[in-house]
Amino acid sequence: MTNHWIDIINADVAMVMGSNIVENHPIASKWLTRAKERGAVIINCDPRYTRTSSFADIYCKFRSGTDIAFVNGIINYALENNFINKDYVLDKTNASFLISEKYSFNDGLFSGYDSGTRAYDKTNWAYELDGNGLPKKDLSLQHPRCVYQLMKKHFNRYDIDSVCRVTGAPKDVYEKVCRTFTSTWVPNRVATWLYAMGTTQHTHGTQNIRSYSILQLLLGNVGLAGGGINALRGESNVQGSTDMGLLFHLLPGYLASPTKADQTLDDYKKNNTPKTNDPKSANWWGNYPKYITSLLKAWYGNNARADNDFGFNFLPKRSADYSHISLFETMYSGKIKGLFLFGQNPAVGGPNSNKERKALEKLEWMVAVDIFETDTSVFWKRPGIDPADIKTEVFLLPACSSIEKEGSVSNSGRWVQWRYKAIEPISESRSDLWILDALHKSVKKEYAAGGTYREPILNLNWDYGNGNEIDFHKEPDVHLVAREINGKFIQDKEVMILKDLKSFKKGDQAPSFAALQDDGSTSCGSWIYCGSYPGHTHEKNNMARRKKKDAINNIGLYPEWSWAWPVNRRIIYNRASVDINGNPLDPKRWVVRWNAIAKKWEGDVPDGPWPPDEKYPFIMKPDGHAWLFAANLNDGPLPEHYEPLESPVDNYMSNQQVNPAVKLWHKVNPEGNPIGDSTMYPIIGTTYRVSEHWQAGAMTRNIPWLAELVPDVFVELGFDLADQKRIKNGDKVVVKTARGSMDAYALVTRRFQPFQLNGKVVHEVGIIWHFGYSGLARGDSANMLTSHVGDANTMIPEYKAFLCDVNRKEGGVV
Amino acid sequence: MKALLIDSTRCIGCRACQVACKEWNELNAEQTTFFSGKGYQNPPDLSPNTWTLITYNEVEVNNRFDWVFGKLQCFHCNTPACATACPVGALEKTEAGPVVYHASICLGCRYCQLACPFKVPRFEWNKIIPEITKCTMCADRINAGLEPACAKVCSTDAIVFGEREELIAEAEERISKNPTLYVHHIYGKEEAGGTCVMHISNVPFKEIGFDTKIPMNPIVYNSSHAMKPIPYVLTGLGLVLGGVSWVVNRKKELEKETKMGKEG
Repeated sequence: MTNHWIDIINADVAMVMGSNIVENHPIASKWLTRAKERGAVIINCDPRYTRTSSFADIYCKFRSGTDIAFVNGIINYALENNFINKDYVLDKTNASFLISEKYSFNDGLFSGYDSGTRAYDKTNWAYELDGNGLPKKDLSLQHPRCVYQLMKKHFNRYDIDSVCRVTGAPKDVYEKVCRTFTSTWVPNRVATWLYAMGTTQHTHGTQNIRSYSILQLLLGNVGLAGGGINALRGESNVQGSTDMGLLFHLLPGYLASPTKADQTLDDYKKNNTPKTNDPKSANWWGNYPKYITSLLKAWYGNNARADNDFGFNFLPKRSADYSHISLFETMYSGKIKGLFLFGQNPAVGGPNSNKERKALEKLEWMVAVDIFETDTSVFWKRPGIDPADIKTEVFLLPACSSIEKEGSVSNSGRWVQWRYKAIEPISESRSDLWILDALHKSVKKEYAAGGTYREPILNLNWDYGNGNEIDFHKEPDVHLVAREINGKFIQDKEVMILKDLKSFKKGDQAPSFAALQDDGSTSCGSWIYCGSYPGHTHEKNNMARRKKKDAINNIGLYPEWSWAWPVNRRIIYNRASVDINGNPLDPKRWVVRWNAIAKKWEGDVPDGPWPPDEKYPFIMKPDGHAWLFAANLNDGPLPEHYEPLESPVDNYMSNQQVNPAVKLWHKVNPEGNPIGDSTMYPIIGTTYRVSEHWQAGAMTRNIPWLAELVPDVFVELGFDLADQKRIKNGDKVVVKTARGSMDAYALVTRRFQPFQLNGKVVHEVGIIWHFGYSGLARGDSANMLTSHVGDANTMIPEYKAFLCDVNRKEGGVV
Repeated sequence: MKALLIDSTRCIGCRACQVACKEWNELNAEQTTFFSGKGYQNPPDLSPNTWTLITYNEVEVNNRFDWVFGKLQCFHCNTPACATACPVGALEKTEAGPVVYHASICLGCRYCQLACPFKVPRFEWNKIIPEITKCTMCADRINAGLEPACAKVCSTDAIVFGEREELIAEAEERISKNPTLYVHHIYGKEEAGGTCVMHISNVPFKEIGFDTKIPMNPIVYNSSHAMKPIPYVLTGLGLVLGGVSWVVNRKKELEKETKMGKEG
C-alpha cells in the first residue's frame, strides 16, 4: 500500500476493483464503513455481485480479464474531458518528457518486439536526452512525442462503446463509474484504489496495476490522504515476507538477487545502482551500495571483508526463472530432488494442480512445515493413488501457530507490529525460527565434515543466543534476529546524517538507513527495516509501540502505534501532496507541510528532509517523477488490453490475442499443459475465496465451526446458464476444462449475470478454491481447472480467467 | 437496560458473530451440507447449537438488486412472552436486559416455545435431560462488564451494544441523517412491547425474514394457574418423544460413521 488501512477513512471515492475487501478483509472493512458514513462513494467493479458489491454505492459488472480495457476507458474519459489535475501531472509525473523516435505502437504491438524470443527491446521506449543526459521536456505538453500526447493517442481507442463491447459492462453504469471516479481530479477530492489478487492473477496483472496507477496520477491522487494505490495483502504477513526477500528475484529490502552478470560486488553495484545527472533528483536508490554491503555484513559478519568483496560471491547467482510455475515444470521433468514447504499447500493452491501433484511424485524427499496435515503433505496417499507407487520420502514438521511464538507481522500498510506469545507451543510444535535454526546447525555440521563450496554455509554469521547445539527446549532469541534486521555499527564511526555529524560506537544500533555505510562499518539485515529496533533493550523495540495518539494533522496516522517502513512514514510519496512551496494541495486533510519559518516539515515523516523546491517528490525514481510512461516493464510502457490465454472472444482492440510477452508453457512443455478453446469450453471460469475459509484451507477446513458454515465446494452460476443446462440450486455438477474436471454443488444466483460482448452472449461462473482431499471439510480443488501460464513480469499464475464447461453430474446429487 | 442495535447497512455477512457465539458459549458445530438456506446460509435454522444465524437475502428494492444480511437470535423482549408463559419462572427478564434461563427449574414443558412470537427458543430433543436453548445476550459477559461476543467481534460495528434508550436515539439519528437509505422504522422499538435486540435496515423488514405482523403490545400469558398440571403431562410426552428422537438420530449417525469410514 502507498497508504495504510485507517487512511481509507479519508477517501471521497473508494474504488474496489480486483479485490473483494468485504469478504476477504472483513476486519479492514471497518475503515470502508467509516468512509461511507463520512459520505464517501464506494464503487465496486467485479464480474460477480459479492458481499463487497452489496456494500457499495455503485456496482458495475465486467468480464474477468478485461481490467485494462475497463480502466483505460476511464483514463480516456479523464483525458478527453480534461478531468486531470494538470499542475500535479506537470510537476510530479513524466507527462512532459519526450520519448525516443524509435517508440511506436501498432495493432497491439509496441516497437522493439521479437516474436522469436517473445520479448521487447526496451531501449526503443527510452527518454530522448539532452546534452547533459537529462530527459527533454515540453512543459506545454504539445510535442507529439511527449508522454502526454503519446498517452492521448494510445488511450483514445478506449472509448466508452468499445470498452463496453470488450468488458460487457453496462454502458449507463460504466459512464457513472467514469464520472464518479474522475470527479476526484480537483485537489480537494481524493480517491483510493483497493486491489488484490483479482488484479494480479492475470497474464497482464502488472499492467492492470499500471492502469490504476496512471489514472490515480492523472487525477493527482497519489501521496495524498485518502488516495494512493493500495494492494490488500491476502496473508497477514505476506508484506513482511516480501520485505525479507521471499521472492526468488529479490534479497531483503527489495535489492536484486545477483545474476551471473554480477561477477563481483562492483559489477552488482554498477548493474543495479541507478544514476542521474539531475541535481533535483534525490535518486534514493543511489544508496544501493550501502544497503547491499550492510546486508552482506549482517549475513557474514567478520567473514565479510573488503578483501573478499564482503562475501558477495557467497551469494548464489540466479541463473533461471524460479517462479512457481517454472519450479513445478522443472520438478515435473525430474530435475528437482527435494522440496521444503513452509506453510504452503501447492496441491490445492498451485495452478494446474493435477500436474503439480504429479510433479511432487518426482521428488526424492519433501518436508512440509505446517500446523495441520495439509493436502500436499499427504499427496502420496491422495485419492486414486497407491502409496506403494510413491518413492518420495515425506516429513511433516509440526509448526507453531502465530499465537505460540513471538515476533513481528507486517500488514498491508507496511506497519510492522510486534506480537507476543500467548500460549506455550502445543506438544512437539516448534516455531519456524527454531526449525530454521536447527536446520542451519545440522547443515553446518555436515559441511564442517566436508563438501563442495562450503564457505557460504560455514561463514554464515549465526548466533541467536541458544547455543551451538540443537536444544529442543531452547528457542532462538527473536529479539536478536529483529536487532540484526535493524542493523548496527561494527566499528566506531562518524557519519553525516542530513547536515549533522554524528558519532557512533561499535555495537550501536543504527537509528535509520541514512546512517548505513558501504565500507563495511555497518550491518543491516533489511535496510527498509532500519529504525524498527534502534536500541538494545526491549523498550527500544518500536514495533511494540501501542500509543493511541494521532499526529498533529489528525488524519489517522497514529505514528506511535507500532512502526512503519520506511522510517515510520505512513503515507509514501507524501511530498507529492504539496505544491512547490510545500503547501498542502488538500489543506483539510494535509499529510505533510513545509514550515518556512522553522524550515522543517510537519505532519507525516516526509519523503526526504530537503525543502520542497529542492528535490522532486518521487525519490525512488532516478528522474524524480512518477512514471505515466514506464519503459522498464516486459510487456510495454503503457497498458494495452489483451485477452486471457483462454478466452471466448477475439481481441476487439487488436490482432494480438494474448499478451505478446508472456511465456507460453503449453508450447514449451506441452505435456500436461493443454489449452482449451471456446467451442468445447464456452464458459468463463474464475476462482476466489470466501470469508469463512482461508487460502488452501488447511487451517479453516480443519475447524468445525468454519466447516459448518461452508462445508462443501460450490460453483456460482447465473439463472440463464442454469436454465440452459437444466441445473437447479443444490445440484451436483461437473466443471471441466482442458486440464481437469471437478465436482461441485451448484449455487444458482442472480449475482452472476451473462455478458454482452460485441453482440455475443457469454456466461461466467466462479468457484471457491479452498478445497482439497485432506481435512474435515473436503472437496475437489478448483485449481485442477487452472493452467500453467503467468504474468509477463511477475509470472504470477492466471488463476482468474479460463475457459470451462459446466454440466449436471449424471446420477444426481451425491 | 442494555440492548443491541443491528444495522443491516453495515452488516457484511462475514458471520464472525455466528462463530464467536459458538466459541463463547461452547456450542458444537453442526454437520451441514452445501448450504441449507438462501445464499450462503448455514446451518438451516436456529437450534440448540446455533443461537444466532445470519440470513442471506437476495432482494430487489426500487428496481435495484441487493444482497442484504439479516440476523436471527432471541429478541430479549422487555416483557417476554416466554417468561410470562413459563409456569415455574425458568425464564426471567433481568434488569440488565437479557432474558435468561434457569435450567435447574425448567420442567421441559416448552410453553415458552409456543409463546414466543419470534419462534426463537429451541428444545434439545437429542438429550436425555433436555433444556431450552436460546441466545442469552451473553448475560455472563454483561455481568462481568463485557459486551456480548457477537458485538465484540463485529468488525464493521453492525452490531452495537449499549443502553437501550441511547441506542434508540442513535438509530433515530442514523435514519434521520440518511433518510433515503433506511426504512423509517426501528424493528424492536415497539414490537411485542419493545425488545432489547433492535434492527434498522435499508430494505423492508419482511424482505430479510422478519415477521412484520408482530403486535406492538406486550404479549402476556396469564394462564399459568389453569395450565399448571399440563406441564407434567407434556414433560412425560416430551421425554418419550425425546427418546424416540435419540434412537432415530443415533441410527442416522451410525449410518454416517459407516459411510465416512468407507471414504476415509
